[in-house]
Amino acid sequence: MSGERRKKGLWLDPRTKLFLILICVLASMFAPSLAYQFALVVLIAILGTFFGKWKYVIKAVCFYAVICVLTVWIMAEMTGTLRTMFIAFLGLFHKVYACGMLAGIVLSTTKVNEFLSAMNRVHAPKKLVIPLAVMLRYIPTIQEDWRYIKDAMRMRDVSPSLGGFLSHPGMTVECIYVPLMMTASKAADELSIASVTRGIENPNPRTCLVQIKCGIADWMIMTVAVAFLIFELCVRGGVIG
Amino acid sequence: MSNQVNSMGKGLTVKDLVTTGIFTALVFVFVLVGGIFFAPNPVLTFFMPAGSGLLAGPVFLLMIAKVQKRWSLSIMGVVICIIWFVTGMHWAFALGYLIMAVVADFVAGAGQYKSKKLNSLAYILFSLGGTGSYIVFFADPNGWAQTMLGNGTEQGYIDTMQATANTGILIAMFAAAIITSAISAFVGCKMLKKQFEKAGITA
Repeated sequence: MSGERRKKGLWLDPRTKLFLILICVLASMFAPSLAYQFALVVLIAILGTFFGKWKYVIKAVCFYAVICVLTVWIMAEMTGTLRTMFIAFLGLFHKVYACGMLAGIVLSTTKVNEFLSAMNRVHAPKKLVIPLAVMLRYIPTIQEDWRYIKDAMRMRDVSPSLGGFLSHPGMTVECIYVPLMMTASKAADELSIASVTRGIENPNPRTCLVQIKCGIADWMIMTVAVAFLIFELCVRGGVIG
Repeated sequence: MSNQVNSMGKGLTVKDLVTTGIFTALVFVFVLVGGIFFAPNPVLTFFMPAGSGLLAGPVFLLMIAKVQKRWSLSIMGVVICIIWFVTGMHWAFALGYLIMAVVADFVAGAGQYKSKKLNSLAYILFSLGGTGSYIVFFADPNGWAQTMLGNGTEQGYIDTMQATANTGILIAMFAAAIITSAISAFVGCKMLKKQFEKAGITA
């Protein structure tokens, strides 16, 4: 296990990752100015390079830099309603971007089973963990089903495109929804039988091959994140009060 | 199957939990597909809740029809909230879905999860959850823009905000979201009656 970890770069506890996302949301909520927002993105980028996600990080930072320049330009040049529209939109964008970027890194580096055993360790209720796990597993399946449904629709001369939707709305809608929902409810029946057979109702604690624990790296990264948030709050408080 | 349901008593069985999970995935995908054309567009971004309300109705109604127990909708709300939060959406957006899902659960529960009208109403309420982040925006437009403008929020911006956005767009946003989700729920009811009840899919 440790050899594999070293190859991939840094390995963090899923709980740490969740904590980081929480801090990230708070940090971008309280960010006093655009510069801090950018600093946050850069911090996330550094974390991303530790994970070995070079390409993703470079793309994300470049894109954000362009948006920042654009924002400054719009603030300086535009007036009136158009400006208001852009302020509303860019406000949402800046608040979401940093978290979205971190989420991208987290999702691509966390496996579902690691996530589940971490959830178990924090004693999340089973009623919540089971639907969550099923959902994460089922989303790729929807994609697959969608391809089959498209093929089947073409075979029966129903066009799965926008044109087909406009000419025969009722037909197209039915042809998309009905098979998707039928397969979903069949899958629900089968999956519940399968998971009962594999002992999902077992009251004993779940075991996992991958050991979940907080290492030094986890604590260090959490400290950095909290420090950044506190620094931000200080700046904000100092400026306002 | 019937054995298993009986042995588990009244609460949510594993089957209900799995069903909730799978339909949550479908609802999530439909909400995402409906909203994604609107969200990155500065002019249309306010109609994002409307767009995402348009598609998920039939799935939502089938899930209610299949589970017919309390907390199933709330669990869906919590799961969707976690996913929105983890994928970095605005916090008020995630919270909006969570709150409205719990509200929808109680509304649908008032009719024992069997009344079509109450279930449709529950869906409309649920899809209003998407307006959360916009409500935060309208409640505090200065705080919203502060990040970009620095600390000197200009008078011109506040004026435009109060003149155009505060009432007009807010009402339009709610109206559009309610109308599209009502259409979606209506189509969903028709579809359930025509396709799923006969096939015995609904419990």
